[in-house]
Amino acid sequence: MAFTAFGYSLRDALGPGAGFFPFWLGTLGALLSLALLVQSWRGRAIGEDAQALLPRGEGARRAAAMVLSLVAAALLLQPLGFRLAMLVFTAGLLLALGVRRPLAIVIFALLSSFGLFHVFYFWLQVPLPIGLLGI
Amino acid sequence: MDTLQHLVSGFAAALSPAYLAYAFAGCTLGTLIGVLPGLGPAAGTAMLIPLTFKLDPTGAIIMLSAIYYGAMYGGTITSVLINVPGEAASVITCIDGHQMAKQGRGGTALGIAAIGSFVGGMAATIALVLVAPPLAQMALRFGPPEFFALMLFGLCLVSGLAGRSMLAALLMTVLGLLLAMIGIDPVRGAPRFALDIPDLYDGIGFIAVVMGLFGVSEILLAAEAPVRETVRSKLSSLLPGREEWRRSVGAIWRGTGIGFALGLIPGIGAIVPTFMAYIVEKRLSKTPERFGQGAIEGVAAPESANNAYANAAMIPFLTLGIPSSPTIAVLMGAFIINGITPGPFLFQERPDLVWTVIASFFTGNVILLALNLPLVGLWAKLLHLPFQYLCVGVLLFCVVGAYSLQQSVFDVWVMIAFGVIGFVFRKLELPLAPLVLGLILGPAIEKSLRISLEMSAGDYSIFLTRPLCLGMLIAAAAVLAGAALRLAPQSLREA
Repeated sequence: MAFTAFGYSLRDALGPGAGFFPFWLGTLGALLSLALLVQSWRGRAIGEDAQALLPRGEGARRAAAMVLSLVAAALLLQPLGFRLAMLVFTAGLLLALGVRRPLAIVIFALLSSFGLFHVFYFWLQVPLPIGLLGI
Repeated sequence: MDTLQHLVSGFAAALSPAYLAYAFAGCTLGTLIGVLPGLGPAAGTAMLIPLTFKLDPTGAIIMLSAIYYGAMYGGTITSVLINVPGEAASVITCIDGHQMAKQGRGGTALGIAAIGSFVGGMAATIALVLVAPPLAQMALRFGPPEFFALMLFGLCLVSGLAGRSMLAALLMTVLGLLLAMIGIDPVRGAPRFALDIPDLYDGIGFIAVVMGLFGVSEILLAAEAPVRETVRSKLSSLLPGREEWRRSVGAIWRGTGIGFALGLIPGIGAIVPTFMAYIVEKRLSKTPERFGQGAIEGVAAPESANNAYANAAMIPFLTLGIPSSPTIAVLMGAFIINGITPGPFLFQERPDLVWTVIASFFTGNVILLALNLPLVGLWAKLLHLPFQYLCVGVLLFCVVGAYSLQQSVFDVWVMIAFGVIGFVFRKLELPLAPLVLGLILGPAIEKSLRISLEMSAGDYSIFLTRPLCLGMLIAAAAVLAGAALRLAPQSLREA
């Protein structure tokens, strides 16, 4: 960012330019990163055990399912519309998290997609996306 | 006299059925947020901003403020019953509160926490009424150099007090400030670092970032952790016995004093006052060995400090426009969404709004007490909600909340990205509060620095020749030096 900021003017006729603050911030950020790196090398790492950073086993599976479901929801939000996208998101994530009660999944998914849409769209008048199918 | 008149008009408005209903809804939702594990006050408040879109600005701010202090109390319930702080400020409450629950005194712990929170909140709000107007008046005399120095002081405090590594905290502050540079240059109006992406011209959505960093990342971390057991404590006896009262009264007032005093300092964070209140009680006690074994003062003092801090932190926010914590930064975002800029001019330009909001802190604290003492059993039941439904519900609200901000899927992507980044940062023990405060203060701090330098034709001595400005810069340097000294011996030991 410091390099890009250098491309904006650091100073113009009126005083400090658009690149002034980000340039010095970027430089300070680079110096701090370097200092932190040196500190880590000297044995005082922030996350000493790199292996502990990565979730493992069941926890990793659950966390990954959540991130993937969120990505899918963001991708489907406009083409499918809020109601269908959230129906898929809720039901899919509940299944991925190990819920095996079909009736509970259906009720929860319907309430949280169609129910929430009703609250936001009609009561709070927040324009949520309606998809290609008109839902 | 002016203050009294304004306050009376504020009460007249705050006691109207609509504003009372907003405060009630805010307190209920706030307590719910505090109770639900995996959802702190910052993410919770951010997530619920869309609920206030249809309200007038005063109603919206009343409701969001109530969510804020409701969440600060709600965290206590999880601390006591499952030894998991609902939000960071309740960490200390876990120590003795959970022990009390294990001994069958969970109801008393929650009762004294509610009473302490009420006293702390009310006392701090009375002090707010007295302190805020003269402070705002004084701040009107601040020029850009003083505001720059003040914001720098706040950021240095956050960096100096957050986390185990000051270097890491400073880096997080700089990262937050750098992220704030994306978008339109606040002085010249030209786009910067936007990579020709139109969505980035308005900058990175602050509220979406908070939802990701504090909401999504928290849920991802919770997904990894094993499911905890809830202590089924006897909740029938909420009021303390005579001996417990005797021990608690002093603790509540001392906690209130500490919370209020520290709430005035921008950037200090909510954990420090609760921690200090606990330490003071332990030092003053004739039987310090009871602490950690279920001492009621160990709950009363930090909980009073917590709510006194929460209300006192509104003073630098309302009068100077400086948020003390990520949650107040979210409130600041809500103010801006509603077209209101917190700061010294607020008391002059919108006295109706600011005094109604302050009066609502009084009504809100009464509502909170009324809501929490009788309903504590109901809140406790919420802890038995199945984890999977809770996670899905929170993530769903995050998606709706992020999208609703600007009706843009881009904000949803920002939220997801910062959810993953927050997850990694938490694992690396990198503090998130400095990043958030850097991000919200970035445009203002840059603007005041550049205007100061324009005023002095590029001469940096402008910061050294104005006494107030110089004083704040020295204080900022002292905070960083103090933090470096505090951490240095630890660093040598660990090396």
